[in-house]
Amino acid sequence: MKKVGIALYAAVTVALMVWGFYQAIYVAPDDALQGYVFRIIYYHVPSASVAFVFFAVSLLGSIGYLAYRRSSAVRAQIADAWALAGAEVGVVFCTVVLITGPIWGRRAWGIWWTWDARLTTTLVLWLIYVSYLLLRRFAAGPQVQTLAAVLGIFGALDVPIVYMSNRWWRTQHPAPVFGGDPGSGMKDPAMLHAFLWNMLAWFAWGIFILILRFNVERKHQQYAEQEAEEALAANI
Amino acid sequence: MDPADILDHQFVTAAYTITWVIQLGYLAWLGWKWRSEKRHAERRNQHSR
Repeated sequence: MKKVGIALYAAVTVALMVWGFYQAIYVAPDDALQGYVFRIIYYHVPSASVAFVFFAVSLLGSIGYLAYRRSSAVRAQIADAWALAGAEVGVVFCTVVLITGPIWGRRAWGIWWTWDARLTTTLVLWLIYVSYLLLRRFAAGPQVQTLAAVLGIFGALDVPIVYMSNRWWRTQHPAPVFGGDPGSGMKDPAMLHAFLWNMLAWFAWGIFILILRFNVERKHQQYAEQEAEEALAANI
Repeated sequence: MDPADILDHQFVTAAYTITWVIQLGYLAWLGWKWRSEKRHAERRNQHSR
């Protein structure tokens, strides 16, 4: 039953991805100012949204780990697995954002990169979470999960700064698609539909790999725990 | 076709392709990690018997 559910979810996700691609490439019209290259936005903005939400998952997991680490080992490990999964999948999506953005910028602005507030804060966010993953990969000892949780919480503080950066400061980055000034956003319904379908598709895909990553980490934790128990029993 | 349109098309293709290479590459790495965890557990079970 579980396998059928997973297969069904995967099939729906693939269908959404194909439909989103069709909407973005064949249905949505060219942008009046930017032309065809505007279609990069249908992958760029949803990837940024998914990254933000998954960094929030990492934040909640990190808080959960710190809250339960002395009272409930199982809950703490589950929270830690969510924190790691959120950070890692968030980095994957943030990497997509940092690559597709400059590709669009090269065509729209004539430059690959500029040190404006939105771009710089996004790069800092990516660097913080890459350092989080490197800490977890290379550091050893009983305090690694605690240190990672603290870093995960501080890293998440950059998310609202990235989100608000092109509202607080004058940036070269375009105005927000949602929640910006009254004149901003997508006006053409076909463009808006393409954008929303891709948003749905990328969230479905992101949730799929987030849950997969969580399960891989839980398996790793359970095997490590069994090994530790057996080693302890052998010494006694 | 206008050269500017061709260039636009190439940029969109590059962005979409890189996105999918990253996403599918990560999915493949997750699959590999899942399998290596399972194999590690199987080997450990065999040794403990």
